[in-house]
Amino acid sequence: MSTTAMAFPGNRAVTRRPRRVSGFWPTSPALALLIVFFVAPLLGLLLRSVLDPHPGLQNYAEVFASTTYLRIFMNTFIVATVVTTATLLLAFPVAWFLAVAPRRWASLLFAVIILSMWTNLLTRTYAWMVLLQRTGIINKTLMSWGVIAAPLPLINNLIGVTIGMTYIMLPFMVLPLQGTIRSLDPATFRAASLCGAGRLQVFTRVFVPLVASGIGAGVLMVFVMSLGYFVTPALLGGTSNMMLAELIAQLVQSLLNWGLAGAAALILLVVSLGIYAIQFRFFGIRAAGEVE
Amino acid sequence: MLLDFDRLGALRAVLSGIAVLVGAFLLLPVIVIVLLSFGSSRYLQFPPPSWTLHWYTDLFNDPDWLASFATSAEIAIVVAIVATLLGLMASFGLTRGRFRGRETLRAVFMTPMVMPVVVFAVALYALFLRLQLNGTFIGFVIAHLVIALPFAIISICNALEGFDKSIEDAAVLCGASPLEAKLRVTLPAIKAGLFGAAIFSFLASWDEVVVAIFMSSPDLQTLPVRIFSTLQQDLSPVIAAVSTVLVALTVLLMVIAAFFRRGKPA
Repeated sequence: MSTTAMAFPGNRAVTRRPRRVSGFWPTSPALALLIVFFVAPLLGLLLRSVLDPHPGLQNYAEVFASTTYLRIFMNTFIVATVVTTATLLLAFPVAWFLAVAPRRWASLLFAVIILSMWTNLLTRTYAWMVLLQRTGIINKTLMSWGVIAAPLPLINNLIGVTIGMTYIMLPFMVLPLQGTIRSLDPATFRAASLCGAGRLQVFTRVFVPLVASGIGAGVLMVFVMSLGYFVTPALLGGTSNMMLAELIAQLVQSLLNWGLAGAAALILLVVSLGIYAIQFRFFGIRAAGEVE
Repeated sequence: MLLDFDRLGALRAVLSGIAVLVGAFLLLPVIVIVLLSFGSSRYLQFPPPSWTLHWYTDLFNDPDWLASFATSAEIAIVVAIVATLLGLMASFGLTRGRFRGRETLRAVFMTPMVMPVVVFAVALYALFLRLQLNGTFIGFVIAHLVIALPFAIISICNALEGFDKSIEDAAVLCGASPLEAKLRVTLPAIKAGLFGAAIFSFLASWDEVVVAIFMSSPDLQTLPVRIFSTLQQDLSPVIAAVSTVLVALTVLLMVIAAFFRRGKPA
């Protein structure tokens, strides 16, 4: 509590003197928690990547030399890219609809999105395991329509992971986008068409540039979240096509190879935080991680 | 033009069509699971051949499932309370403090939210191996606190920034002690933010699975961990029943949240 900020004129003159620290201590319990149980263990893990089993960079050499690990990096990158693209393509029209549609319809769709987002992650993943399995509804329906003769392999591979993750990431793309579209001033659009711009021109030269920051925020957030995602790939993916988060978990849980796990974790961390740093730079701190 | 729904022309049909499809895409899986939880087919045939409450009786007669429910709830409640308290203190410092690096500190507090959870999970698991905190109640609480804290801080900081501090100063001028002014003037004014912090912290802990997978022991499993490990073996319809209970709780929570939002002026 900042007793220095009391509203006595004389007092205020004293406390306004620069370089005086006040109001820091209330943050200290939370900060202590973070240092002991967040920063320290992370540093510990990253240190093990260069110390375990013995000092040196051999863990990094091993990660980059092995085709198995490189394939896992590729898998992760491809899935994250496809998921991000798919969510953007689906989310853009939805966000547009949310921003302009009659209030009743917009709030109904909004409620569906929030319900989906707040539904337990495992429930949603389970739903897709049921839908996508060999004897699942999707395969059965397609077969009864005669579209396919045999069940498609939709699960235990990267197709299943991509579908499940698109489903889970969609709200994270819709929400920032609809916020941006809603904040646009219709007068700008009227001005553009008064100046003779056609509909397509207004779209490409006014609309898209104005929502670019929202798109950027959504794309970066979904991409980074997809890179480090664990649960959905672990359940919908197969053992032969792992993603990076699964690799880290497996290195620790089954192989007890802390050095390699630390190296893989550092790579994931550097890429993720690097992308967020770009976001801070171009879109400001507020845009990052702001869900609603 | 493009922002006026009635003047979108053909685009209006396109946007509405996609909105309906995406709405269905988001909703249908959840509906299917709810229906299947009442279906009699062990192999999750859809539409179900007949209806039953069998999976619910299985669920509620299984002490392991009930224990996981209780464990998750206990952890999440403790996390919600502690995260709101720590978040409240930190938010006072972050919104009103005058010290160098305040904005940096705010960004630091947000880092657990942007960190890939699996990295944090592995790191904390290693530390807890040493401290022997894996599989303990306090271990779960600590881990989920780190994850919940950013949500609490965002919610409370927003509320504090929207509160006019001169009202608190006025209370002090009228003779209240600074602490009294905070307790009786500021806290009631930001209670929506505090409530939001508690709800989001609760949910962050209640839904958390990655860290919990690493930390859980056979004796102490949170609900998500039990679901996860069951799913790794088979797609039992009991999971559909658990899921339906969770969906019902989510809907309840949404209704409560909507109620609070409505009760808030403006």
